[in-house]
Amino acid sequence: MNTPGPASLPANARIGPNTIITGDLAFKRFHSREPDALVVGANSTMDGVHFALGEKGRVQIGDYCYFTNAVLLCESELRIGNYVVVGWNATIADTDFHPLAPAERIADAIACSPAGKGRSRPEIAKRPVWIDDDVWIGPNATILKGVRIGAGAFVEAGSLVTRDVPPRARILGNPAQVIGEMP
Amino acid sequence: MNPDRTLPWDWYPGRIPENVAVDETAYIETTFSFYFFRSRLPKGVEIGRGASTYLGTMFDVGPRGRVTLGAYALVHGARIVCDSEIVIGDYALISWNVVLMDGYRVPFNPLDRRKELELLPTRQPRLAAADVPARPIRIERNVWIGFDACVLPGVTIGEGSIVGARSVVIEDVPPYTVVGGNPARATRQLEPGVRATST
Repeated sequence: MNTPGPASLPANARIGPNTIITGDLAFKRFHSREPDALVVGANSTMDGVHFALGEKGRVQIGDYCYFTNAVLLCESELRIGNYVVVGWNATIADTDFHPLAPAERIADAIACSPAGKGRSRPEIAKRPVWIDDDVWIGPNATILKGVRIGAGAFVEAGSLVTRDVPPRARILGNPAQVIGEMP
Repeated sequence: MNPDRTLPWDWYPGRIPENVAVDETAYIETTFSFYFFRSRLPKGVEIGRGASTYLGTMFDVGPRGRVTLGAYALVHGARIVCDSEIVIGDYALISWNVVLMDGYRVPFNPLDRRKELELLPTRQPRLAAADVPARPIRIERNVWIGFDACVLPGVTIGEGSIVGARSVVIEDVPPYTVVGGNPARATRQLEPGVRATST
């Protein structure tokens, strides 16, 4: 369980006034070495969020955002605007985690194994995720790499988003489809 | 439950709220399940005979919300987001990471949503609590909901039905029907059968 209580910030994380990050697992998988790897604006609430950043991962989150127990998996860049809501247990990932090509995947399995000390991992596809202002993302939703979600879009609970979402679209499903338009 | 409404086996230092009625044969794994509970109704949550809730189950119940768990219902880690009413029938099986939500807690209009998000950091604990419509959810008796599934506002799932893992249910499910997918669609029918229901 990611229990309540403030998390202690890594040196390369910066948060604005009145922003809180809670949960004892918030930075358990925070491995970024980038300067300003995590920048969160003012008045945001990051309740039980997992910031799982690879060595080169950078996450930028705006003001008045509200995330509950979201999982952020970042090897390149997540850029999230202002007034963004991310629901419980939603996942945002900017990477494929492993190569798609079978032979490459074997090399990766070895590099990741306890016996693979020192071996470098093969190239893995990653593309930044951008989430614009006023986006609402429901619980259990999944946002995959390279996706841009336009301002004011509404991602229903449990959606799996594989493609760009136009501004103010309401989307649902796996894969997510546009089902309507928001005000 | 101890006389002071703590649980002898609890890892979290909380109590069962006064307006939560728990049958003496029911089991609650942890009072952390009530961390976001703030119903002001005389019975905000009612937990029936032989019902059980396990780690990860959260009663995220607003001031006018009411949740009922029927007899022998088993909730194995669901997020119950309730501002109106959520009824879970007898013998229902609700799996882990299931979301039952009767509302969205924020206005659909982005400008109004901004106002709500500006209020949010002033609350303790911080949560969305806009006065927006909610539509009750009914999970009838003997329903089984698989892991990671979501049930959206206003949905009724009929007696004996099965909701497959990771399904998203956006409309009513008739009795004795298996649904799956996102959005969920009926895939087959079940025979009710006959079985003694006493223990």
